[in-house]
Amino acid sequence: MPDALLTRILHLLMHLLTVVLLAPLIPGLITKVKARMAGRVGPPVFQLYYDLAKLARKQAVYSRTTTWVFLLGPVGTVAAMLAASLLVPFGHTPAPVAFEGDVILFAYLLGLSRFLTVLSALDTGSSFEGMGAAREVAFAALAEPALFLGFAALAKVSGSTSLTLMLGSLGVGSGAVTAPLILIIAGWSIVYLAENSRIPVDDPTTHLELTMIHEVMVLDHSGRPFALVLYGASLKLLVLSALLLDLMLPKAAHAWQDWARFFVGLGGLAGVVGLVESATARFQMTHVPRFLVAGILASAFAFLLLLV
Amino acid sequence: MHMLDLILVLSSIGAWAVSGLMSLGGGWKARLGTGLGVLGSLAAGVGAIRALAGAPPATLNVHLWGLPVRFELDALSAAFLVPLHLIGGLGLLYGREYWPEDLPKGAGRTLRFFYGTIIASMSLVFVVRQGILFLVVWELMAVSAFFLVSTEHERADVRRAGWVYLVSTHLGTLALTAMVILLGHRLGGFPWAPLRGASPAAVDGWILLLAFLGFGFKAGVFPLHFWLPGAHASAPSHVSAILSAVMLKTGIYGLLRVSSLLPAIPRGIGGTLLALGAFTAVFGIGNALAQRDYKRLLAYSSIENLGVIAMGVGLGWTGRATHDPWLVALGFGGALFHVWNHAVFKGLLFFGAGSVLHATGTRDMEVLGGLAARMPRTAWWIFPGVLAVAALPPFNAFLSEWFLYRGLFAALQRGYPWSAVVALVALALTGGLAAVAFARFYAVLFLGQPRSAAGQHAHDPSGVMLAPMAALAILCLALGLGSLLLLPMLDRVVAVIAPGAKPMLVSGMGRDLAWITGLEVLLLLLGGLALAWIRRSPRPDPALAPPTWDCGYAAGTTRMQYTGSSFADGWSVHLPGVRSHMRRIKGLFPKPLRFRTEVQDAMGDLLVAPRMAALAERLLWFRRLQPGFLSVYLLYVLLTLLGVFLWMLLRAQVLG
Repeated sequence: MPDALLTRILHLLMHLLTVVLLAPLIPGLITKVKARMAGRVGPPVFQLYYDLAKLARKQAVYSRTTTWVFLLGPVGTVAAMLAASLLVPFGHTPAPVAFEGDVILFAYLLGLSRFLTVLSALDTGSSFEGMGAAREVAFAALAEPALFLGFAALAKVSGSTSLTLMLGSLGVGSGAVTAPLILIIAGWSIVYLAENSRIPVDDPTTHLELTMIHEVMVLDHSGRPFALVLYGASLKLLVLSALLLDLMLPKAAHAWQDWARFFVGLGGLAGVVGLVESATARFQMTHVPRFLVAGILASAFAFLLLLV
Repeated sequence: MHMLDLILVLSSIGAWAVSGLMSLGGGWKARLGTGLGVLGSLAAGVGAIRALAGAPPATLNVHLWGLPVRFELDALSAAFLVPLHLIGGLGLLYGREYWPEDLPKGAGRTLRFFYGTIIASMSLVFVVRQGILFLVVWELMAVSAFFLVSTEHERADVRRAGWVYLVSTHLGTLALTAMVILLGHRLGGFPWAPLRGASPAAVDGWILLLAFLGFGFKAGVFPLHFWLPGAHASAPSHVSAILSAVMLKTGIYGLLRVSSLLPAIPRGIGGTLLALGAFTAVFGIGNALAQRDYKRLLAYSSIENLGVIAMGVGLGWTGRATHDPWLVALGFGGALFHVWNHAVFKGLLFFGAGSVLHATGTRDMEVLGGLAARMPRTAWWIFPGVLAVAALPPFNAFLSEWFLYRGLFAALQRGYPWSAVVALVALALTGGLAAVAFARFYAVLFLGQPRSAAGQHAHDPSGVMLAPMAALAILCLALGLGSLLLLPMLDRVVAVIAPGAKPMLVSGMGRDLAWITGLEVLLLLLGGLALAWIRRSPRPDPALAPPTWDCGYAAGTTRMQYTGSSFADGWSVHLPGVRSHMRRIKGLFPKPLRFRTEVQDAMGDLLVAPRMAALAERLLWFRRLQPGFLSVYLLYVLLTLLGVFLWMLLRAQVLG
C-alpha cells in the first residue's frame, strides 16, 4: 500500500523536524510567559536559536584541569536525547522506532546523558560543580522510581513494554483507567519539573552558584560544547513534555488533528510551566526530596490501584 | 569429532597444572609456564566456543581409583569455561608485570603456582559430572583461592580476610557435602545425569536448599556475602579479577547444574531467590557507594551483580515451576548473559584498579585524583568498563539487564505481581545507584586534580598490562553491539539448564535486539558527529588554558574538590555500617577539628564477627583436652580403639 507508506514517511518527517527544529522553542515560550507574568516584555521566543547560533561561532575555553571526558557530557546528552526522541510517540502517532522493551532503553538513555554530564562536571575539579553533580544524582535517584513505577503501571494496563503502545493508546477519558492515569500524570509532572531543572526544584535562571543544581554543572562549558548543552536540555524538555502530553491528550479522529493537538498541547504545557514558575518560589534544598517522594507515592498508588 | 573439544579442555587443564608447577622454578621455566598457560587458555577457549556454537555434548567415562567418573562438555559447561579462560589467560599476562616473580621473596612463585591450580581446578569444576570428584575439585579451587588471597600474608588485614574466607568456604562445602549425598540418593549413584521422566519428590526441595546454602556462600548472595569484600580487595588485582569475574560464578554454575539434574523445580523457591537476589543487588551497590577503598568498592559491586544474576536464576526457576518457556528463556538467558558481561567488565575494572594501585601504591581513593592526565591510557581503557558496570547503553551489561527487565515485565503480566514488582523496583534502583557509585569511582580516581602527593607522579603501566585491558574494553562494546550473534548460543545453554524447554530467544528477541543495536549504532554516530563539530571550531592554545572557574574565588586548592565521601554523603549516612566521628563545635573560636568515617559491613563486621568471637571463647573449653603430654594423647588413641572394638562387637545387637 504505497498510500500508507507515504503517510508513514510524512509522519516520520514531521517527527524528526519537530525534534530537531522545534525543541529550542519551548524554553523560549516558558521565558516569555514568565516575563509577561512579571509585567516585562521579555526576550523574543526565538532567543535560544539566536544564542545557539552565537555560541556556534564562539571559540571555546577549556580549563587546564579538564580532559577528553569534559566533552562527553554535551556530546552524550545530545546524542542520547536524539536517540531517545525516536522512541517517544508524539500525540497518538506511533513513534518512528517501536519495539517491545524500548521503554527500558529510553530510561537508560536518560541515565546515560546524566552520567556523562556528571562526569564532565567532575572533570573540572571545581567544588561547585562537584556539589551540583552530587545533588543531581541524589535527586535523579528519587525521580527515577516515580518514572519506573509509572511505566510498570502503564505496562500492566496496556500489556506491552513499548512506549508507543503504552502511551499511544491511552489518554484521559479513553476508558476505565482514569483514576490511575491521573495519579501517574501527577507523579510524572513532578519528575518533569525535577528532570528539567525547573522551579520549584531548581531555578534555571539563578545567579548564585551555591543554590544551583543543573546549571552549576555546566559552569565551565563555553562555545560549541555549551551550545550542545543548551540544545540537549531543550531536547530533554521536548521529549519529557511529549511523555506527559501523551497521557493527557484525547485521541482525535484524524491523524493530522492529533498532530495539531500535540503542538497546541506543547505550547499549553510551556505556558503552564511558565505560570508555575511565576507563581511559586523554589523549595529549600532540603525540602526537595519530600517533593520527589510525593511523585514516587503518586506513581506507586496508581500501580496499586491497577493491581486490585 | 566433538570428542576433540572435550580433549582440548582436558589438555588445557593439564597445561595449566603444569604451568603452575613450572612457575615454581623461576627463570626460563616460569616463562615457559606462562606460555603453557596461555596456550591452555586458547585450547580451552576453542573447545568451549565450539561447544557453544552447536557441537553436541561430549562425554568421557573413566574409572578413577575404582570409582566411575564422568567428564562432560556441554553448552552450560562451555558458557562458564569461556569467561574463565578469557580472564585467566589475560590475567596471566597482566600478572607478569603486575607481580614480578622475584618480588618479594618467592611470593611471586607461589602466586603463580596457585594461579595455575585455581584455573585448572575451576575448569574441572565445570566439566566433572560426579559428586565425590566434584567436591574434591571444588575444595582444591577453594584452597587455591585461600593461598592466592593471602599472598601478602605479612599484613594482618590480609591474614584476617584469608581466614574469614577459609572458614566461610568450608561452611559452604559442608552444605555441599550433604547436598551431594542427597543428590546421590535421588539420582541413584554419584555420576550426574539429568533425571528424566521422574516425578517430583519432596527431597528435591531439600537438595535445592542445601545447594543454595553451599553455592550461595561462593556466589556471595546476601547474607552469605560477608567474606567477599575483604578477600577480593586483599588479593593481588589480577587474582581479584579471577575471583570476582569467574570464581563467584561457580556458585551460579552449581545452582544451575544441580537444578538441571532435577525433574522439576518446586514452586515458590524461584520467587524466594528472586527476592533474595533483588535484596543482594541493592545491598551490594548501596555498600559500594560508601567505600573509600576502590578495590572493596569493586568487590561490593560484584555482590550487586551476583544479586542481579541470582534474580535471573530465580526468574528462570519460576518459569520452570510454572511451565512458562518465555520466563525460562528470559530468566536463564539474562542470567547467563550477565555472567559473561560481568566477567568482561569486572575483569577490566580490576585490571584497571590494579594499574592504579601499581602506579600509586594506595587503595584509598580519597588521596588520589587527576589520574586521567597522568595515566591517560588506563583512564581511556577503563572507561568502557565504568559505563558497562552502570548498565548504560551501548555497552554489554545494559543488554543483559534489559533481558531481565523484559522477564520481570512478563512475570508482571502473568500475575506474579509482588515478586516481580519488588524485583523491578530493585533493578531500577540498582541501576541508578550503580551509576552514582561508578561516577564517583571514575571521577574521584581519574578526574579533577590530585588530592595528595600519592598520585602526583603516577604513570601508565607498560603494554603488558594495558593490552589485556584494551582487549576487554573492546569486548565490552563488541558484546553490546553484537548481541544478536549470541542469541543462538544462549538458547543452547538454556536448553541444558531447563531440559525440554523450547528455544525462545532467537525467535522472540531477535527483532527487538536488532532495533536496539541499530539505535546504539545511531547513538555512537551522533556522538561522533557532535564531537567532530566541536573539534572543527578553532581550538584555543593549550598553553594559555585558564584554571577552572571557581566562581570568582582565585585561591582554590586541590583539597577543596569534592571528595568521594562528600559526593556520596546523601546516601552513605543511611547505611547501617557507617560510623562518623566528629566532636561538636563549641565556642566562638573553635580549635581545628578532625572528621573521620569508617565503613563496616552490616552483616559480617556488625553481626557475624562479634558472635563468632563469643563462640570462639566458648570453644576454648576444648583446649583442656589438649594438655600437651604425650601419655594423654596415647590414652586417647587407646580409648578410641576400645570404642571401635566395642562398636564392632555390639553393632549386630544395636542395629538389630
